[in-house]
Amino acid sequence: MLGTPIKIRGLEKRFAANRVLCGVDLDIPAGKVTVLMGANGAGKSTLVKIICGLYSADAGEVLLNDQPFSPNSPSAALQAGIVTVHQNINDGVVPDLDVASNLMLDWLANPKSAPLLNPTKIRKAAEEIAAKLDLNFDMNSMVSDLALADRQLVAIARAMAHSPNLMILDEPTSSLSATEAERLFRLVDKLRASGVAILYISHRMSDIRHVADRIVSMRDGTIVGKYETSPLDYEGAVNDMLGHTMTDVDIMVRTPDDVVLELQELQLKPDSKPINLTAHRNEVIAITGLVGVGKTQLTEVLFGQFTPAAGNLHLKGKTYLPKSARDAINHGVFLCAKDRGTNGVVQDFDINRNITLPFLSSLSTLGFVNRSAEYRITNEAIKKLGIVCQSANDDIGTLSGGNQQKVMVSRWLSHPCDVLILDEPFQGVDIAARRDIGAKVRETAKDRATIVLMAELDEALEIADRILVMAEFTIVGDHKNENVDLDLILEQVSGATTPQNLQKQKEGAAQ
Amino acid sequence: MKLTRRVFTKLLAGVSLAATSFVGLAHAADMPAPFDKPGEVKIALVRYLSTGDFFQAYLSGVERQSAALGVDLRVLDSRQDAALQADMVDQAIALGVDGIIVQHGLTESMQEAVQRAVDAGIKVVAFDVNVENPAVPQIEQSDRDLARLALEQAIADNGESWKAGYVYVPGIAPLDRRDETWLEFKARYSGIEEKATFGTLDNPIANSIANQARSVLSANPDITVMFAPYDEFAKGVKIAVDEAGMSEQVSIYSADVSTSDIAAMREPNSAWKATAATNPAVVGEVSVRALAMLLAGETPGASVVVPPTLITQKDLLEKDIKNMEELSAKLPQFAHAAVAVPDWMPLP
Amino acid sequence: MSETRVNKRSMSIKDYAIRYGFVALLIGLVVYFGIAAEGFSSPHSAVFIFQSVAITGILALGVTATLVVGGFDLSIGAVATSALMLSAYMMVVLEQNAFVAVAACLLMGAIVGLINGFLIVQMRVPDLLATLGMMFLLIGAQRIPTEGRSIATGMSLPDGSTAQGGFSPEFLALGRHRFDFFIENLIPVSVVILIVIAISIWFFLEYTRYGRVMYAIGSNERAASLAGVPVKKYRIIAYMISGVLASVGGILLAARLGRGDIASGNNLLLDSVAAALIGFAVLGAAKPNAFGTAVGALFVGILLQGLTMMNAPYYTQDFVKGGVLVIALMFTFALSNRR
Repeated sequence: MLGTPIKIRGLEKRFAANRVLCGVDLDIPAGKVTVLMGANGAGKSTLVKIICGLYSADAGEVLLNDQPFSPNSPSAALQAGIVTVHQNINDGVVPDLDVASNLMLDWLANPKSAPLLNPTKIRKAAEEIAAKLDLNFDMNSMVSDLALADRQLVAIARAMAHSPNLMILDEPTSSLSATEAERLFRLVDKLRASGVAILYISHRMSDIRHVADRIVSMRDGTIVGKYETSPLDYEGAVNDMLGHTMTDVDIMVRTPDDVVLELQELQLKPDSKPINLTAHRNEVIAITGLVGVGKTQLTEVLFGQFTPAAGNLHLKGKTYLPKSARDAINHGVFLCAKDRGTNGVVQDFDINRNITLPFLSSLSTLGFVNRSAEYRITNEAIKKLGIVCQSANDDIGTLSGGNQQKVMVSRWLSHPCDVLILDEPFQGVDIAARRDIGAKVRETAKDRATIVLMAELDEALEIADRILVMAEFTIVGDHKNENVDLDLILEQVSGATTPQNLQKQKEGAAQ
Repeated sequence: MKLTRRVFTKLLAGVSLAATSFVGLAHAADMPAPFDKPGEVKIALVRYLSTGDFFQAYLSGVERQSAALGVDLRVLDSRQDAALQADMVDQAIALGVDGIIVQHGLTESMQEAVQRAVDAGIKVVAFDVNVENPAVPQIEQSDRDLARLALEQAIADNGESWKAGYVYVPGIAPLDRRDETWLEFKARYSGIEEKATFGTLDNPIANSIANQARSVLSANPDITVMFAPYDEFAKGVKIAVDEAGMSEQVSIYSADVSTSDIAAMREPNSAWKATAATNPAVVGEVSVRALAMLLAGETPGASVVVPPTLITQKDLLEKDIKNMEELSAKLPQFAHAAVAVPDWMPLP
Repeated sequence: MSETRVNKRSMSIKDYAIRYGFVALLIGLVVYFGIAAEGFSSPHSAVFIFQSVAITGILALGVTATLVVGGFDLSIGAVATSALMLSAYMMVVLEQNAFVAVAACLLMGAIVGLINGFLIVQMRVPDLLATLGMMFLLIGAQRIPTEGRSIATGMSLPDGSTAQGGFSPEFLALGRHRFDFFIENLIPVSVVILIVIAISIWFFLEYTRYGRVMYAIGSNERAASLAGVPVKKYRIIAYMISGVLASVGGILLAARLGRGDIASGNNLLLDSVAAALIGFAVLGAAKPNAFGTAVGALFVGILLQGLTMMNAPYYTQDFVKGGVLVIALMFTFALSNRR
């Protein structure tokens, strides 16, 4: 039964000009948990989507039990014994059906199944499926009445009914509590013992420490590190995944001016450690940390989207408590949000309209937009950031990801502010655009405090005067960007300093 | 809305019962059984259509005649729900009524329900719905007569030869019956030339018809007579004629009448020359009287036709008729119909 | 740099078809009717087409405002007929003057829009459901004061008396007065109002920041909110615009009919939604826009006028309307690959 059911050889995939996978080689052995680590955009999800039949590869192949395997749909992959439990738990279950129907969903969906339902039979079959994993569900309860973790267990149990060759778990703990995660891990142990090959994708060090037999790090579309010998070198894996080695941008650390923003004893969650932070004019602060450590919540507090559990904020010496995005903008705090597709770009608009959207009131008199002023701003932005386009009237959708991101950044650079927050500004951006954006942010930073949040360390090294490390919803490290002790930062990022810390991190991450 | 009307109807029925019980008692001795014991006779009106002036007036007629007879009236309103209307017949049977008036509805849904009522020994009359039951007399306003009266007036006013526009939507039973008469007239008078047929029931109907009629008038500027055998149609045509500035040239003949129709006909230079109408309140009264005859063991006949009245612009102006009440008061043939009136029948 | 982009150096035939196809169709139609239907090509006929689409056009512009913010308003037809009843009630029963009647209707439209917006934005009721509920509510409400009767001068009231008031001449002028324009008594008030509203809405959506922000909300609500747009306020405003324009339509309807007619207004709703959707296809906009809506309404008007003049039976009208809508939606969604 043991062996290597899945072998991946030279897999390549590109989307338009963007190479997402550049020759991936990976073996996934049976009876082991292979953890796949990688920052956002490293190509993890593309890899998974090719294996489970959502995308097709441009080059290279996937071997399933040494046979070439290229599923053309998720159901083909499922038939071949490759099951995926997706990150979004509700993608895996039908909330408005009961547990029994959910467990039997594949049977229900199969056109070859009998047209008439026999409720007793279905229930019995469903109970058998659950019993295989020692799960004890009330078969009649609605999945919508179950807790998230139970829903996930239902999804996994359903997947297990296929006696899979490969089980892919994509960020399975991202919405589970610590005890719920424990249950999941026990299930993973059971699956491993039954000889299933498991590909486990996660950012969470606590998860990884718990389940990993081997770790594979991915970065920029290739496998950059494999760790198989016990004890596993977690720091090495994180190091590979974040890959700071290629940094060749020299930062002249500048002297900060007066204090603009001050966070005092700010608690993002009732049980998280307080954050103290001071941001100065003429200073670029990078806040780095893994996904899910509270970076997003911090930006939401600063931009009026989220009320902190405790603590004070001061802006230019006055108490600052924004109630909405509008309020924050009026106070001179700008946020260039992450995930530009959902949070930034207005698809129906051209470049010009995307750039000027937040500033229409200052660009109009009595409601009428002053078009010449608007185009002046846009054309200036296009020139300054080198946005590749025909004119300011190009639809934003015609631009590449990097250029769209430049539009988003230049939107917030187009007006002066006191605090500029950029959340993951280099997400889905190629290296050239990244350098352009970084240089422009630094160049204009003189009269404001700039806070940039990102998961990748080398991005932080490229842009910041000061690097703060976040873990467990608080700040755990503060480094001036001169002769940085990278090992220390990595240690802080992975939260691996002491056993005591480790314990805490597990709790923090699990919440 | 439902509630208020129900409450209102009940109140009204209660009040009128109280008011008429004395009167009723006075006459009780003269009336045949079961009307010699007023208040013990219960009848139900089971309606399919209820919104609109016509149906409101019909109801008032039913209520008036019921009060005059001293019977207890229950109104069951299905609001255009055919299945519910059939259920309401059963409900009336359960209520233990003596008689039922079925007002509109669909043959398919009502036939069996009415048969059940007849089997239960309940007397039934039907207004404007064919329940295909020999035991059930039909109360009808004669659509053919309506169209005939209006067209005869058109001939009288315009001679036997004119170019006409005709408003018609097929598939609506009363309009189909009026259409038969129109076809008859066209065949009889070869001088009538139908230049255009149009029509729609998109509501507000008058507005949609006005739009169409404008197009028709600009395509056929030689039309002199518009036959619009439904007052909503006529109202729309009048708007179009006014807007086209052709009210001197075109004459409109229609069927049915309401207060606002009277106002429109009375306007200076109005193109709307005449309409033929049955008073819906009278139809309501006749429905109750036919049912009462059945209950008293008499036969009103298989079909009870309520004759229409011709109302001309001239009548309205000369007699200074401004609304439906004055129409009833000043055109006696409109206010009452000598149909289904045995000697003992108290009139409202 | 490895950036790629769509090249726009020249427009292909398909681009021209998307952009001008529908306008070409419109012109073709006018030419065809001009030749085939006698009397079609006259100034009176042209004005009349405008008049026949004035009310649905005004309602459609309101629909456009809600479509722009990614919403939908099913209650406009009922708002229009409620305004029709309300204006009649104000004048005939309460014996108020034209000004009070118009003001009451506009206020009613604004309040209905406010309630719709409140239900959708604050109570999080899905837009179709909230406005559907409002539609039924209004259809019922307009019948309560008169117990389901139409309102006309001299009508008898529930308390037995007769209504003494009447439609004031100023009010009726809204539906019947005509302005001189080269030819005497040519352009009806409703057409002027349609044109004024169409231009205002077009201007509002294209040239003011409010309109711009509304488009942003319709395209990406989250992004608009993070750009500091008070999304809730704008969505409520969109429904208020829709309500007010629907009541303007109702006022014009009342002025034309000269009485308060009970009607559900569903045909008004469907026709105006069709006009707004046809508007997506005009000039390849592929999004709700005031100019397109006006052209869409006109398109339907021309078609119906031409068909009626050629004596086409009434049941062909809905068929033709549906055909136009399907073709327009095809232009919008299949041919233009922007979505």
